[in-house]
Amino acid sequence: MIIELGHFALILAFVLALVQCVVPVWGAVSGDRRLMAVAPPVAGMQFLLVGIAFAALSHAYVTSDFSVLNVVENSHSAKPDLYKITGVWGNHEGSLLLWVLILALFGALVAAFGRNIPADLRAATLGVQGWVTAAFLLFMLATSNPFLRVSPAPMEGNDLNPILQDVGLAIHPPLLYIGYVGFSIVFSFAIAALLLGRVDAAWARWVRPWTLLAWMFLTLGIAMGSYWAYYELGWGGYWFWDPVENASFMPWLAGTALLHSAIVMEKRGALKVWTVLLAILTFSLSLLGTFLVRSGVLTSVHAFATDPLRGTFILGILVAFIGGSLALYAWRAPLLKQGGLFAPVSREGALVLNNLLLTVAAVSVLVGTLYPLALEALTDEKISVGPPFFNLTFGPLMVPLLIAMPFGPLLAWKRGDLAAVSQRLYAVLGLALAATLVTAWAQGTEKILAALGVGLAAWVICGAVAEILSRARFRDVGLSTGLSRLYGLPGSAWGTALGHAGIGITLLGIVAVSAFEEEKVLTIRPGESVEIGDYRLAFGGLARRTGPNYIDDVGHFDIYRGGAKVAEADPAKRLYTARRMPTTEAGIVTFGLSQIYVSIGEVHADGGADIRLYHKPLVTLIWLGCLVMGGGAVVSLFDRRLRVGAPKPARRQLAAAE
Amino acid sequence: MKRDSKMTRKQRRLTMIAAAGTVLAVAVGLILFALNDQIVFFQSPSDIVAKTIPDGQRIRLGGLVAEDSVTRGENAEVRFTVTDTVESVNVVYVGLLPDLFREGQGVVTEGVMKPDGLFYADNVLAKHDENYMPKEVADALKGKGVWQGKE
Amino acid sequence: MWIAFSLLTVLAALAVLVPLARSGRAQARAGSAHDAEVYKAQLDEVGRDLDRGLISQEAAVAARTEIARRLIAADQAATRDATGEPGDAGRLRLRVVQMLAVVVVPLAAIGAYLAFGAPDIPDQPLVARLQASTQDRSLPELVARVEQHLAKDPEDGRGWDVLAPVYMRLGRPEDAAAAYAAAIRLLGPDVNRETDRGEALVVANNGIVSAEAHAAFERAVKLDPEAVKPRFFLALALTQENRREAAIAAWQDLLKDARGGEAWAEAVRIELAKLGVETAPAGEPVAGPSREDVKAAEGMAADERGAMIRSMVDGLDARLAADGGSTAEWLQLMRALAVLGDTDRLRQVIARAGEALKDDPAALAQVKSLARELGEGS
Repeated sequence: MIIELGHFALILAFVLALVQCVVPVWGAVSGDRRLMAVAPPVAGMQFLLVGIAFAALSHAYVTSDFSVLNVVENSHSAKPDLYKITGVWGNHEGSLLLWVLILALFGALVAAFGRNIPADLRAATLGVQGWVTAAFLLFMLATSNPFLRVSPAPMEGNDLNPILQDVGLAIHPPLLYIGYVGFSIVFSFAIAALLLGRVDAAWARWVRPWTLLAWMFLTLGIAMGSYWAYYELGWGGYWFWDPVENASFMPWLAGTALLHSAIVMEKRGALKVWTVLLAILTFSLSLLGTFLVRSGVLTSVHAFATDPLRGTFILGILVAFIGGSLALYAWRAPLLKQGGLFAPVSREGALVLNNLLLTVAAVSVLVGTLYPLALEALTDEKISVGPPFFNLTFGPLMVPLLIAMPFGPLLAWKRGDLAAVSQRLYAVLGLALAATLVTAWAQGTEKILAALGVGLAAWVICGAVAEILSRARFRDVGLSTGLSRLYGLPGSAWGTALGHAGIGITLLGIVAVSAFEEEKVLTIRPGESVEIGDYRLAFGGLARRTGPNYIDDVGHFDIYRGGAKVAEADPAKRLYTARRMPTTEAGIVTFGLSQIYVSIGEVHADGGADIRLYHKPLVTLIWLGCLVMGGGAVVSLFDRRLRVGAPKPARRQLAAAE
Repeated sequence: MKRDSKMTRKQRRLTMIAAAGTVLAVAVGLILFALNDQIVFFQSPSDIVAKTIPDGQRIRLGGLVAEDSVTRGENAEVRFTVTDTVESVNVVYVGLLPDLFREGQGVVTEGVMKPDGLFYADNVLAKHDENYMPKEVADALKGKGVWQGKE
Repeated sequence: MWIAFSLLTVLAALAVLVPLARSGRAQARAGSAHDAEVYKAQLDEVGRDLDRGLISQEAAVAARTEIARRLIAADQAATRDATGEPGDAGRLRLRVVQMLAVVVVPLAAIGAYLAFGAPDIPDQPLVARLQASTQDRSLPELVARVEQHLAKDPEDGRGWDVLAPVYMRLGRPEDAAAAYAAAIRLLGPDVNRETDRGEALVVANNGIVSAEAHAAFERAVKLDPEAVKPRFFLALALTQENRREAAIAAWQDLLKDARGGEAWAEAVRIELAKLGVETAPAGEPVAGPSREDVKAAEGMAADERGAMIRSMVDGLDARLAADGGSTAEWLQLMRALAVLGDTDRLRQVIARAGEALKDDPAALAQVKSLARELGEGS
């Protein structure tokens, strides 16, 4: 009954989505407020219904109800409870339901917190969100219904792939989806604005928090996925330029560009046409990612079971939404009035450069991802486009972006003074040069590129700090006033600084790992030890350990530094007994910001083992930087000014009191 | 709007367009260069025997790991034979093999052919799915009439 | 369930209807008023930038002028933005949307659900199903699933143990015997498992206690000398082997443990009666294989034993055909043929016994009942 209720709720949600498609937009276009007023409660109800469906499916998973086909195919009664829940989105149908749930969630959020948005814009936005929701609900009901029943019900399910039974993977998809799908609401805003002809500074201000929210989750989702691959796959890599990774990275690049162009549009009324286009493109890239992952075009760990009908359906959604929105754009965009002018050297100019570089970088990733598919379809020639391609194209595009980064926030709007800003950055440049020289001196001149990379990271991080300090004006107002000014700085200023510093931190981690990482592959026998970095690892031998549904061959290592034992590592070769599936459990020990990473390969008859050993200096910075970026987004979101326009008198008094 | 700039509106626009054009041109150049130079072609053992592959060109070699061909040396050196049942190529690899590397199973290796007739791999791939046959391998084997996978 | 369905549908319809019923006046101000708010905030920001020294005094003035101009434009737009009460077109729209909510939404949702849903299938959480009675009507399917599970994990002794009695209930004694054997192998021997395995073998063998079943019962008795069921079958075996004295002793030994009223005790009395003890009319003892013959048979290999039984059966058959014989002899021949699995001949013998004993209704009834037991009942 709960399952059938979930199924019914899903169907009702689809029917309601059809109402949401039509009525609010009709109201917005004809100026009928009562019709517009339908949008928020329907969006809320929509979320409730999809929520009921999701809860019903989760309930079926938790209670191991094998009368549901989806549960049979992806669960097992003996699976730990946590993985019963995460198994809900560990498969095509369930993850699609999560997708739609998040779509509906964003609709409901706009309905609940969007009171400061003009009624017509809000109604039209929710209407467009209704189109997206309806399309995906139809897709789900027609080709991927998670509520299909089996009668008679089997007594046991097929279990989830062991590699997916991991906490990291449990958190990664929801974060990523909130990011991916969050851009849908920005897309809806853009389409609604085009329909209503309302694309102005105020529009940009309403759109920004939603972009920020989606961007934050996408950043964290990508970082989480990267860390998962790092510790679970046992290869020691954190980014593989795998097509599925690229599918999430492209919307991130476009979303980052959108975040910046929306600032220009809000502050100066310029770049309207471009910003709306970016909003459409960002979500289109999310849809493209969904298509690539689900259509079976790509084979990957992430790619779920493939079915030609699903691929065709998703392609249809893709073509309809991207084609339709771009056609609408082509028709309406010329009607938009251009905003303020600005000189090439100005805050606007810097943000345009940012957009240019990010967009082109996204295009280069897109080319690298689609080229092998296109080539195979056209010539039957099979190729792979791997990291070398992306390092050669993506890397050079990022360098000017990072060099320009500290300048941007210091330049004035409209017309900036490059010389004056450069003067402010002398100290930062000095620090960056110092970092470069120290690195070159410590690591030898043959690693000059790495030294320059460290210098660039220092430049970006110090630049972000300098920007904040300059806002506080310690030099002019003294320490105490400076501190109080620092405290009183708007959240968005802190957000900018944290976001930029985060990029620098991640860059530092990437440079350090790529250039200074040590790797050893060797056979080690009990009693032997191996040196790496400043550490010595003594191998204590292998032992067999039995887990709940696997058997481990655990290797024990004592780690010494300067003669004293500092840590232990226990990498393992794991065999999941039910599926006879081996996995590698890396032994990772963190020292400060660096890590020692050991994984075991072949086990020899004499008790020895082949091991792969890494010393990864500063590797944790890669993910810490992402956390800092996410933190920047949070701080920005709490910026009071983003909530401007709320007509509540109470808030006005509060603002006046400040 | 006041003309408070030293440049005319036209000049500004030209500057912007020039900047954008430069970035685009550089990017297109990079992409084309990288596509020429940095992509790796997929080859089956038959392809390698039939064609002469220039020394030092990176390729991906895919096929089945021949039964009883895996020998392990000291310090994680592994030698095995990749075959498409018509031709086969001997591969040398130093490192840890993926979890799902097995004799008789599909594999994709990346590396270079050396004049001694051995394929020196620096990367061996086998994805995390027990039913997974790398797509390239499946296609290549289908071509040889060996692999009867589900269509 | 339908109550919950209706509730959801009503809620969905209300989500559309309620806002329609409300007056438009409660709604927020027009968009241009919001714009003004944004421009005011921008004016503040110019002040901050000036304060920070990012822009010159002059530039600040210019920026303020520009923003002020937009602000004025927005204010003018706001005054123009008066929305009148909905006219006829508005009323029509209202009616259409109301119809949509009241008629189309419920009909479409319930129609689609009836087409795709499965309202007749209840939730089946695993725990509840495991607790539920095994007399569930989908028992055979459940068994099939357990079999699938055991095919994947044949070392799951509990699974076999659970499955075996279900097989018995389903009339698949061979499978039950095999399942018990697996359970014994994995979980260790146990009186009940050995006994039940033996019973399954006996049933599979049309009621004849085979050597394998015999061994199982003996192991069970060794595990628990007091156990009634294996001893019952051992006594039955003696009866079937026509070792009359040993059988009577075994039955009587069993009867001593009866406290009265047990179903098996009644069965024992019937068996004793058949052997002519207590209530029995003085029946002629059946000429069976001699003690030596049986001893010899026990030492033989299975196929040799089969050959020996066959030769005895042929002898008995020939004698009955030529001279006729007692009811007990006919029954013995039938059992023997069943053991040999010679069903064609068994059918002939049943027919011939019916012919030979047609004047003795009691004997005929015995033949018929044994024929049914042996799966040849008509």
